[in-house]
Amino acid sequence: MKTMEKHPNRINHSPIFIFLGLIALVFINIQVLFDRLDFYVVGVLSVVAINIILVVSLNLINGITGQLSIGHAGFMAIGAYTTALFSIHLGTPIYINLIFSGLAAGFVGFLIGLPTLRLRGDYLAIATLGFGEIIRVILQNLRLTGGAAGLGGIEWFDNFFLTQFVAIAVVIITWRIGGSAPGRAMVAIREDETAAETVGINTTKFKVMAFALGSCGAGIAGSLFAHRMTYISPDGFTFMKSIEVLVMLVLGGLGSITGAIFSSTLLTLLPEFLRVIDEWRMIIYPALLVIVMIFRSQGLFGTMELDFGQVKNLLEKLIPRKPLEESNNPNPRLEETVSFGGVKIEGKGPILETKNLSISFGGLKAVKAFDIQISRGALHGLIGPNGAGKTTIFNMLTGVHSPNAGEIFFNGERIDRKSPNSVARSGIARTFQNIRLFKDLTVLDNVKVAFHLQADYGLGTAIAHPPSFGKAESRITREAKELLKVFNLIDHSMTIAKNLPYGAQRRLEIVRALAVSPKLLLLDEPAAGMNTLETQKLMELIRWVREEFNLTILLIEHDMSLVMKLCQTISVLDYGIKIFEGTPEQVRNEPRVIEAYLGEEVS
Amino acid sequence: MLPALGFIICAIFLAMIWALFKNKKRISSSPIGRFFFGFLLIILSIGAVNYFLVGINANRLYFWQQTIYGVSLGSVYALIALGYTMVYGIIRLINFAHGEIYMIGAYAGFFAVASLGLPFFLALMFAMLTSALAGVLVERIAYKPLRKAPRLAVLITAIGMSLLLQNVGQKVFGSIPRSFPRQFTGLYRIGELNIDQSRAIIFVITFLLMLILQYFVVYTKPGKAMRAVSQERDAAQLVGVNVDRTIALTFFVGSLLAGAAGILVAIVFPQIRPTMGLMPGLKAFVAAVIGGIGIIPGAVLGGLIIGVSENLVTAYVSSSWRDAIAFGLLILILLLKPSGILGRNVKEKV
Repeated sequence: MKTMEKHPNRINHSPIFIFLGLIALVFINIQVLFDRLDFYVVGVLSVVAINIILVVSLNLINGITGQLSIGHAGFMAIGAYTTALFSIHLGTPIYINLIFSGLAAGFVGFLIGLPTLRLRGDYLAIATLGFGEIIRVILQNLRLTGGAAGLGGIEWFDNFFLTQFVAIAVVIITWRIGGSAPGRAMVAIREDETAAETVGINTTKFKVMAFALGSCGAGIAGSLFAHRMTYISPDGFTFMKSIEVLVMLVLGGLGSITGAIFSSTLLTLLPEFLRVIDEWRMIIYPALLVIVMIFRSQGLFGTMELDFGQVKNLLEKLIPRKPLEESNNPNPRLEETVSFGGVKIEGKGPILETKNLSISFGGLKAVKAFDIQISRGALHGLIGPNGAGKTTIFNMLTGVHSPNAGEIFFNGERIDRKSPNSVARSGIARTFQNIRLFKDLTVLDNVKVAFHLQADYGLGTAIAHPPSFGKAESRITREAKELLKVFNLIDHSMTIAKNLPYGAQRRLEIVRALAVSPKLLLLDEPAAGMNTLETQKLMELIRWVREEFNLTILLIEHDMSLVMKLCQTISVLDYGIKIFEGTPEQVRNEPRVIEAYLGEEVS
Repeated sequence: MLPALGFIICAIFLAMIWALFKNKKRISSSPIGRFFFGFLLIILSIGAVNYFLVGINANRLYFWQQTIYGVSLGSVYALIALGYTMVYGIIRLINFAHGEIYMIGAYAGFFAVASLGLPFFLALMFAMLTSALAGVLVERIAYKPLRKAPRLAVLITAIGMSLLLQNVGQKVFGSIPRSFPRQFTGLYRIGELNIDQSRAIIFVITFLLMLILQYFVVYTKPGKAMRAVSQERDAAQLVGVNVDRTIALTFFVGSLLAGAAGILVAIVFPQIRPTMGLMPGLKAFVAAVIGGIGIIPGAVLGGLIIGVSENLVTAYVSSSWRDAIAFGLLILILLLKPSGILGRNVKEKV
């Protein structure tokens, strides 16, 4: 298992694109600076920059956070109209208009995002489409915005250097967000929303954040657009405009900033060249789109580039830096210096207690009046036939499902009305029966995502990159690697999680749960699909984890030998009711348990 | 007297559906049962809206006249929405090109009537078949190769197909609107109420098509195959359903209805143009979502709701707000009950 190639899924030539892009950028700037280009051409370049802002900001919502928005033009319209109103009525310069347009669009994005981001996938797409259209209709009907005729007389300002500067700033900000804890949280949401919640990520917060930031970018683009055109009308911000931006994004590859830049440049310039055959342009353009989708549906760049490490690696090669101090501890145990969450078991009474916990789905009462007390430091087993309600109990304990009745106390604190992320925050981590890793991220990133709660910096820090950011990030990387080392996964740290062998995926889930630094760990069938030897190893691992991390562990398992050897107390569940609780010995001899598993004896 | 008439019409409508599906045991759990309640809801809301609007305008006749217009417009939305809902149900794709299929139906009908001189009902058949073939062709060319691709890629392809068909339409049919020859200029009078023959025909044909469709999907073998594929494609394949053919059939049937909508809309609003599919397409999709996407009676319900509310907004507020009402309703529904009026909330399996 140790001989796994290091970068199995990685395309390593992205820095070349970036440098080619930089060279092109320098070249264009020299040309513009010395007035070597036609006025019209410079104008087209400004449009390219505006489109890059639109696409990169949409990428933050659709690509990085994975929330499908198809109403981007609406936010662009808000920016453009804010600028128009400021410029016409207050005569403010572009710099001020840019800021206020961005803020206005971001604020509307926040307001709209708050209720709609509860929706998932297609429904969200439709809602954003609806909002985009409503914004347009409102603009069409307000006297303030000039109705269908629009607003004219905006101060003309079309400076390629400024537009370019804003575009680059937007790209860098998006880039930095992508490489920070908030960015990882967003990616985690894209990969698996439920799993993201259970490692303590407030998914609503980060979705709204991404949405508001993306909208803000659209507003800025709208502002530049308004100053360039001097006249705007609602017709410029229709559904087709949103689609145009989306097409640019998808063509480049969702989630890839490089791709976004490339494709928005390409698709803005292409019509200019195709104008020669203008008559057929509007047919060729969509046809090209369909063809690209059919033959390369992940877009030109795929999600390449989401990991910004490559550029950093390249820079590190160019500028020698002090390397990260690697530990050479041969003993695959923890180093004394690093301490993982694992707060000492303290306090009185049981760590977890449920009273009368019940839930039903439709007519089915999945769990009925479930009571359990788990003492601190215990290794408690939860067994029962298939469909007995074990996983449902886990889901209630972690806030994924809210119980219809009953109470859950964790450390004396009531948690049954909390969201999964705040349950994780208070110290419960879990694994899933059907492994739910962030499967398109690397092993290391899976763990780093779970260090979310330890990343004690915010979005501002992520964008500004002060020294404290670097420290926090390298601490997270170090601790994540430390954990991987302990679990023998360090050699796989750059492997994409879904390519890991099955057993390693199970281990990685445990690592991810430990990274949340829980006090209570819920393991949902950790031995499922393992052979006897693997189960044996797993058992030792679980024991060791409990000691080393000062944990209490609640375990669902079908493998009786494992449960019997491992657990001190076992609760037996059948048809949603706890039928028995006791030591392994008692459970083994209890007729009710035997009956539940083997059926009634024929008498 | 007139409101009473409205209630009676609705009641008859309901009774027919009821008779058809009375074998269902639990009203609240069957889609048709919920359709019943949905309809009750509409009647109540129309009653409430009536109360307020008539208070403003003091013209009952005008209100009911507008509601009738709304029902016929809504029927068109419903026909398009059925195609959306079926396709979404079976491959989870928002088929943006569906609006263009409807446009093709309108043009096919136009040529059948204006150039070939076919009688209207033959032209209707012709339009439906042309649209159906176009729909299947689009599926074959653009969506079938992407069956295993990420959903977003298929969605983008659909948007691309929509643009492509629109622009090809501009090339082939010309961008100047054509005028559909006048059909069914008759007028029925019920009391003081005018009902154009054309609008009545739209409603009747829509209603008949919906019944046929419901029968087809629930009771016939291909219909059962469709439902099987929409629930679990792999399992359907294992029990011998030809998945590709079933999906193609779904496109065929959905596009048949869009073609019918295309020619039917043209007998009331005779101007047809290559871009005519965009807005009705979006709104029909909204209708499908409002009713509960994937649910056939839901699409009809949603279509009628949008048609009626659009016409009432045009009549009492301003036609420039007309486009906002559909999307406003959409957002309201999504926030209150994302699965739509007739849909069921499904908890994610963890």
